[in-house]
Amino acid sequence: MKRFVPSVVRQSHGLQRFMLLLGFVIIAAFVLIAIFAPWLAPYGFNDNRGSDGVLFATQQAPSSAHWLGTTVGGTDVLSRVIFGARTAIEVIVLAVILSAVIGIPLGLISGYLGGWLDRLLVLIMDALYAFPSLLLAIVVSIVLTTKHEGFVGWILPDPSGGALSGILAAAISITVIFIPQYYRVIRNATIAVKVEPYVDAARVVGVRTPRILGRHIFSNVAQNLPIIGTLNASEAVLTLAGLGFLGFGIEPSDAAEWGFDLNKALPDATNGIWWTGTFPGLAIVLIVLGVTLVGESLNDILNPLLRTRGGETTTADEEELAEAIGTGVEEPVVAASGERRVAALSLSDLSVTFRTDSGLVRAVRDVSFDVAPGEVLAVVGESGSGKSVSSRAVLGLLPNTASVEGEATLTKDGKEQQLIGLPTSKLRPIRGDQVSMVFQEPSTALNPVYTVGWQIAEGLQAHGEVSKKDARARAIELLDLVGLPDPEQRVDYYPHQLSGGQKQRVVIAMAIACDPDVIIADEPTTALDVTVQAAILELLLSLRDRIGTAIVLITHNMGVVADMADRVVVMYRGQVVEEAPSSQLFSSPRHPYTRALLDAVPHLGRENGPQPVAESAEVVLDVDDLVVEFAGRLGQPTFRAVDHVSLQVRRGEVLGLVGESGSGKTTVGRATVGLQQPTGGRVSVSGTEISGLSDQQLRPLRSRFGFVFQDPAASLNPRMSIGDCIGEPLRVQTEMSDREVEAKVRELLESVELPGSYAERFPHELSGGQRQRVSLARSLSLDPDLLIADEPTSALDVSVQARVLELFTELQQRLQFACLFISHDLAVVDSLANRVAVMQHGKLVEVGPREQVLGSPQEEYTQRLIAAVPVPDPEEQRRRREQRGHLLTDIS
Amino acid sequence: MANAEILAAEPYPDAPHPDEPGRKRGPLSPLARYLLTRLALVPVMMWVLITMVFILMRVIGDPITAAQGGRLNAEQIAERKEAAGLTAPLINQYWDYLRNLLHGDLGVTLTDKREISDILLQNGAATLELSFWSLIVAFGVGIPLGRVAARYRDRWPDVALRLFAILFYAAPVFFVGLLLKLAFTPFGWPSSGRATTSTELALQDVHPHTNIMIVDALISGDGYYIRDVLQHAVLPAIALGLLTGGVFLRLVRVNLLQTLRADYVTAARARGVSERRVLRKHAFRTALVPVVTVMGMQIAILLAGAVLTETTFEWKGLGYQLAQYLIDRDFVAVQGIVTLIALVVCISSFLIDVIVAFVDPRVRF
Repeated sequence: MKRFVPSVVRQSHGLQRFMLLLGFVIIAAFVLIAIFAPWLAPYGFNDNRGSDGVLFATQQAPSSAHWLGTTVGGTDVLSRVIFGARTAIEVIVLAVILSAVIGIPLGLISGYLGGWLDRLLVLIMDALYAFPSLLLAIVVSIVLTTKHEGFVGWILPDPSGGALSGILAAAISITVIFIPQYYRVIRNATIAVKVEPYVDAARVVGVRTPRILGRHIFSNVAQNLPIIGTLNASEAVLTLAGLGFLGFGIEPSDAAEWGFDLNKALPDATNGIWWTGTFPGLAIVLIVLGVTLVGESLNDILNPLLRTRGGETTTADEEELAEAIGTGVEEPVVAASGERRVAALSLSDLSVTFRTDSGLVRAVRDVSFDVAPGEVLAVVGESGSGKSVSSRAVLGLLPNTASVEGEATLTKDGKEQQLIGLPTSKLRPIRGDQVSMVFQEPSTALNPVYTVGWQIAEGLQAHGEVSKKDARARAIELLDLVGLPDPEQRVDYYPHQLSGGQKQRVVIAMAIACDPDVIIADEPTTALDVTVQAAILELLLSLRDRIGTAIVLITHNMGVVADMADRVVVMYRGQVVEEAPSSQLFSSPRHPYTRALLDAVPHLGRENGPQPVAESAEVVLDVDDLVVEFAGRLGQPTFRAVDHVSLQVRRGEVLGLVGESGSGKTTVGRATVGLQQPTGGRVSVSGTEISGLSDQQLRPLRSRFGFVFQDPAASLNPRMSIGDCIGEPLRVQTEMSDREVEAKVRELLESVELPGSYAERFPHELSGGQRQRVSLARSLSLDPDLLIADEPTSALDVSVQARVLELFTELQQRLQFACLFISHDLAVVDSLANRVAVMQHGKLVEVGPREQVLGSPQEEYTQRLIAAVPVPDPEEQRRRREQRGHLLTDIS
Repeated sequence: MANAEILAAEPYPDAPHPDEPGRKRGPLSPLARYLLTRLALVPVMMWVLITMVFILMRVIGDPITAAQGGRLNAEQIAERKEAAGLTAPLINQYWDYLRNLLHGDLGVTLTDKREISDILLQNGAATLELSFWSLIVAFGVGIPLGRVAARYRDRWPDVALRLFAILFYAAPVFFVGLLLKLAFTPFGWPSSGRATTSTELALQDVHPHTNIMIVDALISGDGYYIRDVLQHAVLPAIALGLLTGGVFLRLVRVNLLQTLRADYVTAARARGVSERRVLRKHAFRTALVPVVTVMGMQIAILLAGAVLTETTFEWKGLGYQLAQYLIDRDFVAVQGIVTLIALVVCISSFLIDVIVAFVDPRVRF
């Protein structure tokens, strides 16, 4: 808590901070009043006569003797309000502690273990939660305040025990209604956290359940607690007052209570006696206000969904890129184009600055480029290069924290129009009509609650009077044009009923609906499988040929650039570093960054991966006839993710396991380390069968295998230091002393080329590439026989990927572990695997030496897969495109 | 109440998810399957609640002793217990209770010998009426103001509205009621009961008699009665409606803020859809899905609030009656009323899920 509060205050700003501090001040005031109540209050809360023994006048208006007047019972209102604060604070503290102590463990265990226990608890808690909480509290309070015989009487507090037991009884009644709330929040958070890769990572090395719950899950779930705690505190006050108001609270003779006072004041209200009710009421409002302000501000500050995003990359990431490239930014290199062209869209000196919580961030600096009708201009760059921001600025689609300078000129029929600085009302008719966009993630770019036809028609109707019937007919026509099968039916589909590739076709249909002059395609194929990507790129090219639009293609994939672009603009850290015709850029890159980038890109068919290892080498991983099925939900058939797969990996060998999404390759990886129980078949590691073993039996065997996960950001526990992350397998599996563990951690860090001092840092202080090195170090900490790497580099930028892969290859050569390398990227596999296995729909399609599978594939699916990969060489890619002919049509 | 926002994030993480494309379908449509599964849960949830109520009520002790403790001697109490079947083993009593419930027999109150089903009919109608009025206030206040707050995020209308919402959350409904009474009684505005006694008596003779006062007044067709009934409803409806309205405001605001930054909103802007339409059709409609889900949970809050509101304004509804029976320690009556409330909660949460299924096509297909 000590560390927590200041960091929260630091993260807040302006109004948030004011509200947070105001809340804290109010709470502190009430706590002080509660502590010093006997000294602050002029009289006792039940006194109806002064020290002189004279009875107070009843219902007396505020005066110098009674600042807030007296009640109908002749007691001093001020004294009752002050002592009431004491009661309220006592009940809050008791209720919040009690319900947290019971609700949190229940939620953790139920969420983590799942199964029938979870279902039963959910049912009970949901029923409790759905029930009007106040009624429940009343019933419980009656139970507690009735004297009982026998067992019940023995466990419940004696109701005749005076003030303390009265307060305890009230707190318990309130606790009962809070437990379900803690339970729900903690359970849901646990369910969300338990599928995080870092929890899997802990399980892989054999960490026991209690330690996982405590170190990995609770520490990450706990961030919800201050918020829910404050909410419950305010509800505790309100419920206590409600109980008192209805006459079921603490005995009036035991303690002062605001709700009870309000009840007594109710008849006064119609007689114009305002002071008896107003002051206790205001006290309730104030304390709840204070607690709620704190809770609301915490929620605002801590909820990442409501935070203004800073720059998309951290400084660590930027430094890493710079280091990988090995150069600062030099003067931009722009190849002079021979002929004079008329640009459809032209950007000149465009700059974009964001106001973020951490100050001003310049995302784009002085960017200039143009695109002509019928031309494909590729804008390439790695993350943080500003390539998406600059194109969104053109259409005014940036959040209002962005300020844009410079010019963007749209030319149509010889008329020029300036887009930057145009008000939305003038910009709106241009959007979608003259300049349209295709988005990266088709599943989020379509509104889930409307049919695709409705959404296409909406774009048409925004640009002219179109009848409903005509709009629908045109939507069907457009869907047909983009190659969606059965457009008459699918026009009435909701987005979630279509596959990823089909959704992207719909997004493209929307983009071409009004025959735009310019289409900005922002990473249009990044979210798609490679065969679907090939089909979508074909579609974009054919549309360009048919309607002659200019296409600005934003991408990080050099293969896509080689496949599509006429000209290329390379961006780096918000600036254009090189612009050249595509063939020239690939054959003779002139800027150092471009050269470094092209060097880092793996090229399928040109990599010198290793040869197969000797047949005599020891078999480390033996997967025999593996079947994994997932039970369908009620009324659904079971889903077979892995269908009779057999493969072997030998000592010192890297087996590349490739396939598209949903092929079951990740499930195979998880089954080989016991993260997923197989439905059938056997998995053996170094001759020991591990399939069918319980977690308990598996634990001593865990040291034989390591696992590297896809997303380095998610596979390290954000609340553990790097040293703890790497050291955890050592602490769990070996008897090493703390000093030995520390030494080993340093040694491991050095082996992945990170300084030993990084052990003190936390994952968020590292860049993506550094984090993946840490993952690698952790997976190697126990000198495993087998390493499973699941897409270890697909979340990294290409220049960073190159360095991680280099490191990986070197370690593998030195340590000679067997490795199952799972990837969707054939070029990466081509650069490091001895053998390659191809999966589709859960089945193993083809397996063999790398050169054979990737060089002369036998199976049709492998051929299709390889033909679909665009290679970073325009000449070669043109040949490949012609060769593959119609191999790829009708896939998505 | 306020944590509705947190809880709304994912009320049921393991609730049925939409079909992934390409997955085979069973003989029933996904919607029918979803609704049937959900319907099957209603009796289960109801049974859990009824059992809980039963156990709690028996923990208190037997109802006869509780209600008549001081008034009757030990012999008489034992006699009555025998007659009421309270000497039988607990499990038999439980079965009897469940069987009677299935036949719609809720029993007779101990203190004033009323049929509990009559209480439900008469007082239930009053609570229904109060809920109706206050929901009108809540929707009327919460939804438009929530939209305004989201639209002017972090600018003064947002700050003012959020403070307003927090204030109405922080003020107990009976305190708001008390302030309203203080403010309005000097002007002679009615602040207790559902109508003046004369109106109440007159409306007793209306046929058909619905117990819902405004309907009865409308049937009578007398403008004076209608105005009288409406006047009495104003203050309670405002007190309870503002409480719920504050919650709605925050819910609408937070969900709108999230949908406003969704990709499909940018995508709609990029195809030239007007800002008004983007807000109305894309952001608001999608934001409504979680809002509706959480409104289901608000029913419970509304009912709890009704207990306090009814007591404050002497509105003779279920909550008012329940509080009276609780004070009189008439646990047969309490058990009956609480069981009914459980029923209402279960059914309304089912209905909400049905509404969600129709608002959100991801559940429907």
